[in-house]
Amino acid sequence: MSAKKLGLREKYSKMTRDLSWEPSYQPMEKIYPQTEMEGLKIEDWDKWEDPFRLTMDAYWKYQAEKERKLYAIIEAFAQNNGQLNVTDARYINALKLFLNGVSPLEYAAHRGFAMAGRQLPGVGAQVACQMQSVDELRHVQTQVHTISHYNKYFNGLDDFRHKHDNVWYLSVPKSFFDDAMTAGPFEFITAISFSFEYVLTNLLFMPFMSGAAYNGDMATVTFGFSAQSDEARHMTLGLEVIKFMLEQHPDNVPIVQRWIDKWFWRGYRLLSLVSMMMDYMLPKKVMSWKEAWEMYFVQNGGALFEDLARYGIRMPKYWEQTVAGMDHLSHQTWNTFYTHNHAAAFHTWMPEEDEMQWLASKYPESFDKYYRPRWEHYKKLEEEGKDFSNPSLPMLCQTCQIPMFYTEADDPTTISYRVSEYKGDKYHTCSDGCKDIFDHEPEKYIQAWLPVHQIFQGNCGGGSLEEVLDWYRLNQGVENVKYHLSEDFSNWKKWKGLDPETESDDEPRQVSNG
Amino acid sequence: MSYEVTIEPLGETIEVEDDQTILDAALRAGIWLPHACCHGLCATCKVDVVDGEVEQGDASPFALMDFERDEGKCLACCATPTSDLVIEADIEEDADAEVHPVEDYAGVVVAIEALTPTAKSVIVELDRELKFQAGQYVNLHLPEIGQTRAFSLANSPSEKRRVELQIRHIPGGEATSFVHQQLKVGDKVDITGPYGRFFVRRSADADALFLACGTGISSPKSMILDLLEQGDDRNIKLFHGARNQTELYDRDLFEQLAADFKNFRYTPVLSQPNGDQTWEGAVGYVQDVAQSHLENDFRGHQAYLCGSPNMIDSAITVLMQGRLFERDIYFEKFISAADAAQQSQRSPLFKSI
Ligand SMILES: Cc1cc2nc3c(=O)[nH]c(=O)nc-3n(C[C@H](O)[C@H](O)[C@H](O)COP(=O)(O)OP(=O)(O)OC[C@H]3O[C@@H](n4cnc5c(N)ncnc54)[C@H](O)[C@@H]3O)c2cc1C
Ligand code: FES
Ligand SMILES: [Fe+2]
Repeated sequence: MSAKKLGLREKYSKMTRDLSWEPSYQPMEKIYPQTEMEGLKIEDWDKWEDPFRLTMDAYWKYQAEKERKLYAIIEAFAQNNGQLNVTDARYINALKLFLNGVSPLEYAAHRGFAMAGRQLPGVGAQVACQMQSVDELRHVQTQVHTISHYNKYFNGLDDFRHKHDNVWYLSVPKSFFDDAMTAGPFEFITAISFSFEYVLTNLLFMPFMSGAAYNGDMATVTFGFSAQSDEARHMTLGLEVIKFMLEQHPDNVPIVQRWIDKWFWRGYRLLSLVSMMMDYMLPKKVMSWKEAWEMYFVQNGGALFEDLARYGIRMPKYWEQTVAGMDHLSHQTWNTFYTHNHAAAFHTWMPEEDEMQWLASKYPESFDKYYRPRWEHYKKLEEEGKDFSNPSLPMLCQTCQIPMFYTEADDPTTISYRVSEYKGDKYHTCSDGCKDIFDHEPEKYIQAWLPVHQIFQGNCGGGSLEEVLDWYRLNQGVENVKYHLSEDFSNWKKWKGLDPETESDDEPRQVSNG
Repeated sequence: MSYEVTIEPLGETIEVEDDQTILDAALRAGIWLPHACCHGLCATCKVDVVDGEVEQGDASPFALMDFERDEGKCLACCATPTSDLVIEADIEEDADAEVHPVEDYAGVVVAIEALTPTAKSVIVELDRELKFQAGQYVNLHLPEIGQTRAFSLANSPSEKRRVELQIRHIPGGEATSFVHQQLKVGDKVDITGPYGRFFVRRSADADALFLACGTGISSPKSMILDLLEQGDDRNIKLFHGARNQTELYDRDLFEQLAADFKNFRYTPVLSQPNGDQTWEGAVGYVQDVAQSHLENDFRGHQAYLCGSPNMIDSAITVLMQGRLFERDIYFEKFISAADAAQQSQRSPLFKSI
């Protein structure tokens, strides 16, 4: 018989699976000490099906070409002053939120997958985690290039590392990932690959990338395409991990269900930042938050959970509350940022009349009744030169770290508070979902670094607002003002020749800070 | 205009219209190829073009690199053929699959027997031998009404000239009404086949569990006859469902086999005996009866399900509760036009179920 050509599958198995070995002078439990700590029962690692069959050597080749293309486009974008082609400079604030809030998470993911890969005993899972770890590093690097470009022309992008680690609202995404990384390897992958990258990904990625495309930001669009080609691999990893755990042992089902409940809720809370971006921050809107949630979670997620029901997995706990909250989430979040703009590293504004009409049409149940009157009041104050600001420090949810401004799912006029007692102290959470998470692992969450508590404890540069903002390295009076008063806005008018009072410069001038 | 596309390592050939994507044509032909986004972004559907030319369509430059285009790769979800093709996809070559080319046969109906008030056995004698793997089906073409429909081969593969089809009457269905009301011995029919990837995975060291309902017994009958003829000594368990005793057929045959072969166990099950005093056997749905007989533990089996889409969906759920998963579940869904019209949205969690 003549030698048969290896099929793609066999080729992969020779180049990956066959590279592993049985340890002979150390027991497996010592090499992989975290395998059992989460309570999962794994009976047969050979049942792990590699969700994609890519060998490392092919991986390098692919990623190298992606990089080459991406940087060529980013370079051309910079050369051609691509930043001037965005719809208007309000758009940049969506980028500021993404680049300060999400880009450092890519780095966290890089670390998290490296750790998970180290701790999972199966070689298929190890290789998948290794590739994803390198992917995430690539993503953060390309985003840092975007930061570097926009930072030359706009405020609020000059110190993303420091801000991510310290500023109050950025503790929301940061603590989300810290929570995942300090769990075991399986919970980490369930949190990130399954709940976040699979179940919720379309709600993070789609709004930012389509938002960028709609608003003329080709640098971000190109990055998006480049990352999406990795994303499919990541999602598939999430699905495989879930199936693997559920098929290994029936005792794993309740553990996985709890993780799904927890990470769905945490992800939903994190996405409140996206909701306000979609409804308020994009000058040209893609779709409303409510439409996105209905399409990507209720419909697509519903189909997924119908399939998961075969394993005995049900819809994530409290998902009904997310549906009840669709009419309010983005408005309440934007309200909080608008009224605390003095402590934020991006600009806020009140919607123009045509945007109000769009909001009213997308939110017929809630907008005109609850939010338009408030916005009109704020606008009137703006016109009188008395912009509304809320100088107090809000109480934060012990779990998600978001200020407690959300209302009860069934009553948009009552703030939702939950209280737990642990070792004689009271802890506050924003919702049933966050309370359940706290109550299950109180010892973990009482250690949370809550920005407001830290200020009161004197750990953030001092007791006055100015001192705290200095400690945040927030360029006061520049980064933290309403859009109509901002340098971004006056520069934009100059560059685009929109301001009849000033001459339009030929060359966009770079901003002073940064 | 259409092209022939051969998919390796399966060796199956499908027709692809010149404006149809390879993925679309493959899925429609019942061949699963890996895919996710379906619009050129994720690269999950990447295949090697071994021979022939394609138009790349909207493949993203990040999902399909220049060097890959040069190496002759394409994204099956975007690529359309511009010539006949041979592609190689990242799918499992099934060691247990026999390759029998699809051909057209001329046949004559030599016997029709009423199995039950709603099912007929139709024996067709062919112009030459049809080689197939037990479990496969054929397309039956009825020249008088100009219609073609799929039916599984109920005979053992050792019987190559005379094939048996067991055809249930679908009320209002054009082809099955014709078969039940007008088809007679001596009529000419055409048969094309064999098709399908429903067959016993013999290389697996596992018991074979068959769940069949109504005329869904056709394929399992062929598969079981074949296993026993070949002297296969694995445990074979057949749960055979019907509504009531009048709808239950081939019971004598299976009971005789159970008496002759000690590795074969036969359990007929009625779903609606409606106070039938003469029935002493199991009552319920096949999957539920199997679940209680096997004490909700299906591990160590390979399951073969055959029948209506509803029965198969419920059976998969029951099997998974008893810890048998996708990799060990095989099925043939007897889809009719009505089922095809109401397929619901699926998630990518499972590949085939
Ligand atoms: C691989 C395979 C193997 C099979 N093997 C067997 C077998 O061994 N034995 C067996 O008995 N059957 C088998 N079947 C099922 C068999 O092919 C169908 O029952 C047959 O095609 C029905 O044909 P028909 O012309 O009688 O009905 P059709 O006229 O095709 O339609 C069936 C019913 O659906 C209704 N209908 C049609 N179109 C629609 C629509 N768009 N929306 C809603 N309703 C609609 C019709 O009014 C009718 O009541 C198999 C099917 C497959 C796919
Ligand atoms: S299925 Fe995603 S690229 Fe084809
Ligand atoms: Fe919370």
